[in-house]
Amino acid sequence: MVPLDKIRSLPERFPLSCQWEITCRCNLRCAMCYTNCLNRQEFIRRELSTAEMLRILDEMADAGTLELCLTGGEPLSRPDFFLIYEQAVRRGFLVTVFTNGTLITDSEADRFAALPPHRIEVSLHGSTPQTFERVTQHQGSYHRCLRAIRLLLDRHLPLTLKTTALSLNQHEILSIKQYAASLGSVRFKLGQDLRSELDGGAGPFRYALSETERQELNRKDPLLWEEACRQSQTDLPPCRSGMQKFHIDAYGGMQLCSGNRRQSYDLRNGSFREGFFEVLPAFACEHKKPELSALLQLMTHRG
Amino acid sequence: MNPAAIYTHNSDYVQRDVAGECILVPIRRNLTESNSIYVLNETGAALWRRIDGIRSLQTIANEFVEEYDVTAEQFHQDLQTLLTDLLSIHAIHEVTVTDGPTG
Repeated sequence: MVPLDKIRSLPERFPLSCQWEITCRCNLRCAMCYTNCLNRQEFIRRELSTAEMLRILDEMADAGTLELCLTGGEPLSRPDFFLIYEQAVRRGFLVTVFTNGTLITDSEADRFAALPPHRIEVSLHGSTPQTFERVTQHQGSYHRCLRAIRLLLDRHLPLTLKTTALSLNQHEILSIKQYAASLGSVRFKLGQDLRSELDGGAGPFRYALSETERQELNRKDPLLWEEACRQSQTDLPPCRSGMQKFHIDAYGGMQLCSGNRRQSYDLRNGSFREGFFEVLPAFACEHKKPELSALLQLMTHRG
Repeated sequence: MNPAAIYTHNSDYVQRDVAGECILVPIRRNLTESNSIYVLNETGAALWRRIDGIRSLQTIANEFVEEYDVTAEQFHQDLQTLLTDLLSIHAIHEVTVTDGPTG
């Protein structure tokens, strides 16, 4: 018997890892959020029901999916969140939860502790209430987030703190990182890319850092600089989305990844296996290595 | 090892089949083991599936030797190793107290 942190040998195409945006509901209104445009009753009404979610969860488990990231919106704003979460853990998924933390009280922290997640990632967008709440646009959210961090740590849950670099909080990024380091076992992640809202809106880009500002920020910290250098490499491996990773949206649409929703397979009206193995391979992605389509290809020999 | 002993799975572990691998996922884990899963080889997986709270080790051994091309001695070693491993991570526990020798 061998302890592992990941499966060693997988077929080239296998549904190992799912990111599931289980709702676009959220109690905050973060300035750079790309899902908040769908945080309205007419869209929420169309989100997957509990029964639909549990059925899809079962189909993914049967197909061998192991890693499951539950995100939103704010996942805990679904009234049935813990029902879905606990079923996922009991089925043996390695569950990661992305949350803003502000809905976590003793009761929620106890439920997480009873069936712990593989990882829980809390967004901490500032090291002061002023900056944090300038991002979240919600008074009181800073202290609720810090309370969640403490509750999760008290229960020895595997925690990551993360934020997105914005013009609103760039001056506090390093102090957020230092705060995470001061907590011992807590990891830190920094996102630096913004994306369009799901309805096509460009609102988040109002808060984007300029290239110079990004460089200035990254130069202040060796680990941030190392990561920036890694991401600027031109020989990064081709995108693997749709091969061993996939995305499901709040309405049951399965896509290659969260950032590419141009094509979607409707899990409400089809099976997971059909969607992943028969439909997803035909979805387009400009970051994928082109497959060889012809048996004979013209090559230019440079002597 | 007491051949009359009967073991059962600990409900804190979930067995998954992932891409042909038999995996044990601990679902009530602490921080130090939060990233570990356990992979059983083919023999280990076959044994795990027979540990059911009903069959004794002797019954399992008899079934195994009959079904697979393996000597009783070799199988005994494999069984002992697997039991030690599974007990060390609390993936199984004994369900009966028997009169036979232990160890």
